[in-house]
Amino acid sequence: MSLVAEAFVSQIAAAEPWPENATLYQQLKGEQILLSDNAASLAVQAFLQMCNLPIKVVCRANAEYMSPSGKVPFIHVGNQVVSELGPIVQFVKAKGHSLSDGLDEVQKAEMKAYMELVNNMLLTAELYLQWCDEATVGEITHARYGSPYPWPLNHILAYQKQWEVRRKMKAIGWGKKTLDQVLEDVDQCCQALSQRLGTQPYFFNKQPTELDALVFGHLYTILTTQLTSDELSEKVKNYSNLLAFCRRIEQHYFEDRGKDCTFLLLCIHGNF
Amino acid sequence: MRRRGATVPVTKATASEPHLPSPTQAPTRPRSGRRHRPCFVSMATGGAGPAPNITRCGKHAARGTAPRSPRSGLSPEGRWSSPGHVQICESPQSPSRRTRPPSRWACFAFGGSGLPRPRRPDRQRRAWPRALAPLREPPLDQAAAALPRSPRLRPAPSGRLSGRAKPRLPEGLPRPQPGDPKGAVAGGGSAPGRAEAWREVLPGQRAGKMAAPMELFCWSGGWGLPSVDLDSLAVLTYARFTGAPLKVHKITNPWRSPSGTLPALRTSHGEVISVPHKIITHLRKEKYNADYDLSARQGADTLAFMSLLEEKLLPVLIHTFWVDTKNYVEVTRKWYAEAMPFPLNFFLPGRMQRQYMERLQLLCGEHRPENEEELEKELYQEARECLTLLSQRLGSQKFFFGDAPASLDAFVFSYLALLLQAKLPSGKLQAHLRGLHNLCAYCTHILSLYFPWDGAGVPPPRQTPAGPETEEEPYRRRNQILSVLAGLAAMVGYALLSGIVSIQRATPARAPGTRALGMAEEDEEE
Repeated sequence: MSLVAEAFVSQIAAAEPWPENATLYQQLKGEQILLSDNAASLAVQAFLQMCNLPIKVVCRANAEYMSPSGKVPFIHVGNQVVSELGPIVQFVKAKGHSLSDGLDEVQKAEMKAYMELVNNMLLTAELYLQWCDEATVGEITHARYGSPYPWPLNHILAYQKQWEVRRKMKAIGWGKKTLDQVLEDVDQCCQALSQRLGTQPYFFNKQPTELDALVFGHLYTILTTQLTSDELSEKVKNYSNLLAFCRRIEQHYFEDRGKDCTFLLLCIHGNF
Repeated sequence: MRRRGATVPVTKATASEPHLPSPTQAPTRPRSGRRHRPCFVSMATGGAGPAPNITRCGKHAARGTAPRSPRSGLSPEGRWSSPGHVQICESPQSPSRRTRPPSRWACFAFGGSGLPRPRRPDRQRRAWPRALAPLREPPLDQAAAALPRSPRLRPAPSGRLSGRAKPRLPEGLPRPQPGDPKGAVAGGGSAPGRAEAWREVLPGQRAGKMAAPMELFCWSGGWGLPSVDLDSLAVLTYARFTGAPLKVHKITNPWRSPSGTLPALRTSHGEVISVPHKIITHLRKEKYNADYDLSARQGADTLAFMSLLEEKLLPVLIHTFWVDTKNYVEVTRKWYAEAMPFPLNFFLPGRMQRQYMERLQLLCGEHRPENEEELEKELYQEARECLTLLSQRLGSQKFFFGDAPASLDAFVFSYLALLLQAKLPSGKLQAHLRGLHNLCAYCTHILSLYFPWDGAGVPPPRQTPAGPETEEEPYRRRNQILSVLAGLAAMVGYALLSGIVSIQRATPARAPGTRALGMAEEDEEE
């Protein structure tokens, strides 16, 4: 969003409280959604749960195209549509709910840095695995990505997306990496997160922040998604404090909130 | 050569090589001793033959040697690096010999030990400034000039050192091999050992498999920085922090590098690495590790902040230098076009720009399909936030993790230094950065400590290289003209002699007669 538009939106956002019918759009859970999108969606859901804001999840096959920035998930609140975790956090902040107010400057800097780390390494690794690893692409990704569309559109769209993602990988230098190197990067990232978390319940001690939501989204998805091989989830399972962390957030924010959330959780489990 | 004779008195002996190996003392770490090695600066001609001129300042040098003697400026290798040595070089050298201005083709040899951070803070600190003193750029010129000689000189020192050098042999390294990390780690080389090592690195003798020194090819310096390219600067800074013994080739022709891109590291086993992170990982594996002392949490923070830099600052840096029209035309393209050799300067900068633009688009374009200005504003806003965050994280410390520089410092420094030092006509981010005083102080601190002669001031280095350049110029021009004239003369001569063209003297009065004569002559010739 441009600066002016952002200011405008914030103004409007601040004016109205959070409505009851806020919805979050993502792709079809059972057949279409992919690892990286699922992780992002779960992160947003976790964040909203942590802020105690009700949200309804709606699955649409064309969610990607509906989104203003082309990325899922996006939320539809009142008459505004905001996509991706970063802008959503700001939007929610404009409405007066924030998780990171209690942090001092240095901690905020660290939080942003770690969020970038997750985006840079975990998300990119997920994308790599989905779109650049031949086995996964052939078996899982192509089939899922094109599933709502008739032939030949499903193939065309899948190849187009793959080409785009591969170009991006090349631009950031991941094009030449092998799967093992990518897994090693994931391991390094998990190690960094694990060391940062240490024995605390959340990254910034007592209260969860958007960083916790983001990490939870990615790690949980990696742990509960079945791919062609288990190497990715094995890497995460090596770190027990991260597993405990995921479990803690799941129990606290997803199982307590009643049927809808449980359903959500089951759906997540049932993915892939 | 004079050189040798002159400075003899270098006492290698004590080698008070400030053995600075480990970065710990960050300030001192600057293996000052090594630094002086600069006398080993050699002019590497575009990678061709004599390239190995570089004398490696024995990385061994600092092994366990005493702190540098107050003479400073003497590296254990001693005599060559002594200031005296440098001076000598000045006189006789005809820069033309070298044919290349140091700034472009200089190779700097660094000594370094592989030991993880031995600490000799004080001594080194003291030695450092002194050591640096003789190392100003101008002397480099001469030093560089001197370098090509060094191979010749070598025998001499060896002679002198022979006695002392011997102890080194038992270490098991064959003579020709320059000290390699293993040797270094074996540690405790004495000064003679060092000298030996230095000696061994003679040009012709490069590489036994084991011992080949690592070579780093990177963009040369400008705008007051040791290198104008982000990645090259980061790798160079890291190498300085850890004192890795690298032969640094500062070149301006990416086609000369072993991998076709810069920076590139050629390891001692001959393999070529060109991704900056991998270069640093390799250096770490070779035990030049600036993050040795970091706790696990700090290591995690390093990763996180590097990701932050890459996501937020890198796009803006690319935009500032390569996409923003004014900056690109007046600063970036100008520097590259002036620095690159003849045919490349016409198309390479443009090609680089296209690559960067594409990269930028892929990095950011997908999220934001809006127009250019919006994208720009957002990018810059995020970058400003990022800079503020960095400033908050740095606080009032000297380096990000205490008193010793780590790899994160190398990367942050490279980003900030480029932004600060380049004279950008439209520097929106520069203004913001200048407002963050701790970051500015941080940059200047590192520049003055680890790159004293590069940062000392652009004008002097610029002029001295210009010297040899302009001297070359008339020769080159003259040669070109001469060759063209020679060609013309040959053609005309052939034409005349073979009768294709004939000169007729037209005298009006006797025109017919003369003409007839002339024609008769022609006929005869033919």
